Amino acid sequence: MALINAIQGVGLGLKRELIPQIQALYQDSSIANINFVEIAPENWIGAGGKAEQDLAWFVERYPIVCHGLCLSLGGPDPLNVNFLKQVKSFLAQHKIPLYTEHLSYCSDIQNGKAGYMYDLLPIPFTDEAVHYVAERIRQTQDILGQRIAVENASFYVAAPISTISEIEFINAVLTEADCDLHIDINNIYVNSVNFGFDPHAFLRQIPGERIVYGHMAGHYQEAPDLLVDTHGEPIIDPVWELLKSAYQLFGTFPTLLERDTNIPPLPLLLPELNKIAALQNAC
Amino acid sequence: MLDFQKYQIAFTAHIRDPKVNAKPTNANNKRIAVYREIVFNNIFGSVSACFPVCQQVLGKRAWLKLVKQFFAQHQASTPIFREIPQEFLKFLSAEKALPAYFQQLAHYEWVELAVNMQAVQTPKTSKVTDLLNEIPVLAPASMLLEYDYPVQKISARYKPKSIEKTYLFVFRNLHNKVKFIELNPITFQLLKLTTENNMPCEQALIRLAEHLQHPDIDAVIKFGLEILQDLANQEAIIGSTKK
Repeated sequence: MALINAIQGVGLGLKRELIPQIQALYQDSSIANINFVEIAPENWIGAGGKAEQDLAWFVERYPIVCHGLCLSLGGPDPLNVNFLKQVKSFLAQHKIPLYTEHLSYCSDIQNGKAGYMYDLLPIPFTDEAVHYVAERIRQTQDILGQRIAVENASFYVAAPISTISEIEFINAVLTEADCDLHIDINNIYVNSVNFGFDPHAFLRQIPGERIVYGHMAGHYQEAPDLLVDTHGEPIIDPVWELLKSAYQLFGTFPTLLERDTNIPPLPLLLPELNKIAALQNAC
Repeated sequence: MLDFQKYQIAFTAHIRDPKVNAKPTNANNKRIAVYREIVFNNIFGSVSACFPVCQQVLGKRAWLKLVKQFFAQHQASTPIFREIPQEFLKFLSAEKALPAYFQQLAHYEWVELAVNMQAVQTPKTSKVTDLLNEIPVLAPASMLLEYDYPVQKISARYKPKSIEKTYLFVFRNLHNKVKFIELNPITFQLLKLTTENNMPCEQALIRLAEHLQHPDIDAVIKFGLEILQDLANQEAIIGSTKK
């Protein structure tokens, strides 16, 4: 595994709603299993006022990971180098050791003009796309002067032009870019239902040596064959089973709970954090 | 352009404006519908949260139509989420079909978010020593604003029909609360003169009195000083500094 010293144990995605609750319970044994937190740079870069103060509070007390949403590694428009430079100085300023992104795209070109869509869209799985995305990951790592990890993304519609499978695509990109993997366990499960494959077989093909950390989350079942990755529900049993298998296959790795919509009070999230910790301790 | 990129662009064109752009050939319609929904809803949520009064003024249906048009036609250039409303303002500036006051109302609604999140250098400890002979130091996160309409009064029930100049000072206080102060035209000019030109208040007030051909310069200075003191009491002015 490609672990980073500062990032260990169990993490929680830092949402604004949760900030005052974590601050109020800081050093309370009930939240002892929050070992690190994750933020989206797109929410925090250049923010002043209360947000800036909150960030400073967490920087002093918790290891932080940046998990980006808008770099658009698979996007048709040029990589946003100015933004990457902002990310670089943000990481340096707050001593954030790790930046991860998605194997997806969130921008396009219409009438010759680039534009953001602000959501994660599926890259068609072709050899051309592998080379293109790997090159942009390399470019990103060059600009940042550090390795990044990319996350396997959830998606809902298969590109009819795809010529390889998702796992082939992921592995080819990781190898060609020589970057790390931010493994999202829920996304493997969501995609396995949406596209009818065996998530455990998929997991066995993951290059464990590249894992930096993992994500766990809940999803919304829109139809028996369609799951939407809302991060708004409790984690379901098959996803827990998949995490257990991942720990057995690769050894434990730091794992973070994402809850982005329908956010309950912090005490209701703690059982899921504690369960991740228990699985890690049992391995 | 590479083949997979042609597909991507057809895919996003369809999501942006499904009525105009057909989905990519052979893409599953039921599945692509998920993207039509979640991508737009995300943008709609970000924009609507910033512009509640604009929404009320137009009504739900027209607002939905406007945000759909924004998503279909505007290529947003920022990856920073809180700047999405700014992209909406850019889009509005090219929209001719809206009421004259609408853009300014939208700007006014955006100001609260902008000042709330404005990143500023922490000022060197500043205190008010001499408001008349020094230059006032304004709250660092702030905007001095001039509108053609009384934007702060607009609602579904009140839509201005004619121009009525409106001046505001919007700032974030020491407790990170955004405050709005309506200014009279002289105070607006005074703050503009002192802060933009680094001019001590008394000098600025004399210049304003001359400009207004006011018969009693001392009265103008006295009036100005009272106002400055009031702004300092409200933490809009946090100090004063020598030239």
